[in-house]
Amino acid sequence: MNSFLVMLRRELRSITKEKTIMFAIIIQFFIASFSSIILVGIMAFYDPSSIGRNTQIPVQVGIVGDTSSPLSGYLKESRLVVTSFQSANSAQAAFLSGHIDAIMAIPKSHDGVVDMKLFLPELDTKKTVVFMALDEPLKKYENHLREANGIELNYQDVGGEPHTSYEFLYSVIIPVLMLFPALIAGSIVIDTVSEELENKTFDTLMSAPVSLNQVLSSKIFAAVVTAAAQCLLWVGLLRLNAIFLQNLGLVLLLSVIMATTISVGTAIIALHFKDRERAQFVYAILLVVMLGGSYFLNPSPFSLLTQLAAGDPNIGAPEVALYAIPLIIISTIFFKVSKRLVSVAG
Amino acid sequence: MKNILTISKREITRLRTRFSGKSRIAVLAILFLALLSSYIIYHQDMVISKGLYVVGVSADAPAIADQRFHVIELDQQTGYTMLREGTIDAYINGNEVIHRDDQRSQYTTGALQQYLERQELNRIASEYEIDSGFPLRIEIDYLETQGPDSGTATSASLSDIMEIAEPPPAPAGIQAETLISDATVPDTPPPSPEPAVPGTPETDEISNNEPVMPQPPPITRATDDAVRQQLDKFKNGNRLPEFKAEFVSEEEIIIPSLMTPPIPLAQLMITFFYVVPIFFVSLFFTSSFTEEKVNRKLIILLSAPVTPQQIILGKMLPYIGYSVICIIAITLVLGGNVLLALAIFIPVMLFIFSIYLMVALTYRTFKDQTFFSVLALSVVTVYLVAPAMFTGVSNLSYISPLTLAVEMYRGESFGLIEYFLATTPLYLVFLQVMYIGTRVFGEEYLMGFRPLHHKIAEALYLTIDKTHLNTSVLLLSLFLVPIVFMAQLFAIVCATNLPMPLTFILIVMISVIIEEVAKSAGIIVLLQNNAIKSWQKVIPLAALSALGFLLGEKLLLFLALRIISESMFINALFSAGLMVVPFCLHLVSTAVVCLMAMRLGIKYYLLAILAGSVIHFIYNLYVMGAIL
Repeated sequence: MNSFLVMLRRELRSITKEKTIMFAIIIQFFIASFSSIILVGIMAFYDPSSIGRNTQIPVQVGIVGDTSSPLSGYLKESRLVVTSFQSANSAQAAFLSGHIDAIMAIPKSHDGVVDMKLFLPELDTKKTVVFMALDEPLKKYENHLREANGIELNYQDVGGEPHTSYEFLYSVIIPVLMLFPALIAGSIVIDTVSEELENKTFDTLMSAPVSLNQVLSSKIFAAVVTAAAQCLLWVGLLRLNAIFLQNLGLVLLLSVIMATTISVGTAIIALHFKDRERAQFVYAILLVVMLGGSYFLNPSPFSLLTQLAAGDPNIGAPEVALYAIPLIIISTIFFKVSKRLVSVAG
Repeated sequence: MKNILTISKREITRLRTRFSGKSRIAVLAILFLALLSSYIIYHQDMVISKGLYVVGVSADAPAIADQRFHVIELDQQTGYTMLREGTIDAYINGNEVIHRDDQRSQYTTGALQQYLERQELNRIASEYEIDSGFPLRIEIDYLETQGPDSGTATSASLSDIMEIAEPPPAPAGIQAETLISDATVPDTPPPSPEPAVPGTPETDEISNNEPVMPQPPPITRATDDAVRQQLDKFKNGNRLPEFKAEFVSEEEIIIPSLMTPPIPLAQLMITFFYVVPIFFVSLFFTSSFTEEKVNRKLIILLSAPVTPQQIILGKMLPYIGYSVICIIAITLVLGGNVLLALAIFIPVMLFIFSIYLMVALTYRTFKDQTFFSVLALSVVTVYLVAPAMFTGVSNLSYISPLTLAVEMYRGESFGLIEYFLATTPLYLVFLQVMYIGTRVFGEEYLMGFRPLHHKIAEALYLTIDKTHLNTSVLLLSLFLVPIVFMAQLFAIVCATNLPMPLTFILIVMISVIIEEVAKSAGIIVLLQNNAIKSWQKVIPLAALSALGFLLGEKLLLFLALRIISESMFINALFSAGLMVVPFCLHLVSTAVVCLMAMRLGIKYYLLAILAGSVIHFIYNLYVMGAIL
């Protein structure tokens, strides 16, 4: 045990010395920032109402034609500034002079179907903002017309809050942050193992009073400790941003299990292929396969992390414990074959 | 050229022997599995938040077929109890959705509302005629916000408005206007309640003064087709293969309730399809490069009669070939335009290769290399994907070539200027890296083991042509502009995590510091290596560096503004005031940095940068204050 700790310390020192963790953190910081950009992008498309609600820009709409249409009421309800114009010319003049942002031409009468026209500014960004602001009142008006046709829509006022960012945070950002350290751990293991193999330093190590499995598991353990440290760091940073993970212990446990499984797996890959180039490539491709394959698992590690972190009441320790099974299997295989794999290297 | 090909051939053989025998089969099998699983997932509806919400439903509630919801059928009493206890997040009792006040329940309800609304629309579409089910159709037209002097287009739309807004003045007038207006645009039905009788328009002609519409009754409408089309799309949902990402759709006619905006997945999918394979290929490139570097094989090659440039190109060529094959194959599979895809993705590929070449040239151990490769990968992905997320929302998205790819797959066109804005920085980075690569390609640099900033300084010093100091410094600053531009973009990306006023100040500060470093870097390494010693030499060089930087900056800004906004900005941009004053600023700040570093010693370079940045920062604040 003592020699294991010595080996572990050696591995950890080599990781910290090369500022590995710092790079890892920088990378993940990038990814997190990047995700928040994606989030804004997705919100803009997918949940425009939340942006429309949050924009402080007052949108001014000019109405021509049927100025008494219920639509103008809906527009006002959504805090848009509505101006009625007697003629198209005056509306256009107001538009050109910048007093209004959009013109709606509502036909004065209709037979159940309203074909109206909407004039938007050509400028890209402005068009989008105006359009987002108009989204809700237009939908209300459409439902009003449906009711007039004798059609009733259910579930119109269910309530609740816009869920896009919540969904994105818990089903993308948090799982990525918790699993990315595990992927890095796999890379670290390949590098350290293949480095020893390529420099033929394994032989030297073997002459010391340590077993091969001690050497290898110290490498794996060092990588896992690094991964766990990163996860903890992320939990702290999320906390600073007022995002609290539920089932924290289980979330961390699952991340560590994943990191260990991947690290043991990559150790096997590295020992088998002997050189870094092939090992990294196989690892990268295998990751794609595993990510794809895990999608069909229920729950997949990804969605299990989501459910745990979001506080799903029906998910808990048993589901996490299931993931210990592949870890045990792969570790057993690893300790059985490690010696043979190294000796094949000759 | 012959040398390049020889080296390429050797590289291919090396790669082939690497993967021979059993390991080739293993790799092929894994590769096949990877392709297979991507294919299956691609054809499934990918749900990323499986089972995120737990929902109880009563027996008479609608079926919920969405994997985001974990659905449990419960009778009313158990449902209410479980909701109160927190074991379910919402309970659907017939037509009612019951929820708690905590956030989890609120979000669940929000998601349910969206889902149920969608189901309702599907129900309406199947139960009712589209006329009564989707009674509101909106035709979108665009008006220019420019002054009234610009545009015959606006006067045409004016008549369109007239047509709807005012009661028809006279039959002749109507006919004239129907001719002017778009033929697909339906006219408003006549004010009279009874529909006009078709078939007998001739007899009625000008018989009385009442206007009679010469149109058939509004049973089939032009907009009906649009409704049907959009319904089809709506029913298919947000399936992945659909490369659509714009919020305001290109359809002229929209139906508010069917306007569920598509998720901007296209950008991510394109990244996945094109950029990831290129990354894989470049992984091989760096691996092989680093290995030969560590084995000193590269150094041995140098003693042969080949130039560094030939070695780099020769080693890169096979991988470029593989990437090009990937690009072509992917485009053929996705059904895009191959030439256009090559035009868009070759610069992306060269950019990725050049970043990885720099990593391979600079780093000696594999561990370092792994990390810098991952860092490079995330940086490049951010640079490519982040702006493209806003395709169609903001024209700034054109700084990423992925935006062009998205547009290509949507069948939209983009101009040459957009193409140049998106790709010029990438081409420039590639050319620069190639140049730097050939300059630093020597034993000392390749095998040297020094901290990163020393390596960079060394590379810069080797890059500068000592016989043409002035030109070199000018060009160096000019060519650093794209890199500065990218670095500043990252500053913006990172700073978005912070609260607003802080973000703004931080972005300005970081941008200023990056610019000061870029402008002074060349002169500082010259000072460091004692290539220049006196302030008489430093100041002209500072002026040249400032000039080069300003030129590059303005050129880039010019491209950007050409796309983003109107011509008046461009006139303003090149007016004398906006050239001379910034030049003075750049000159002063660069000179301050360099002279300080010269006086105090290179050790105090950071301090000097800070001093220069403060000047620059104050100026920026002043300019912005004047603008705001």
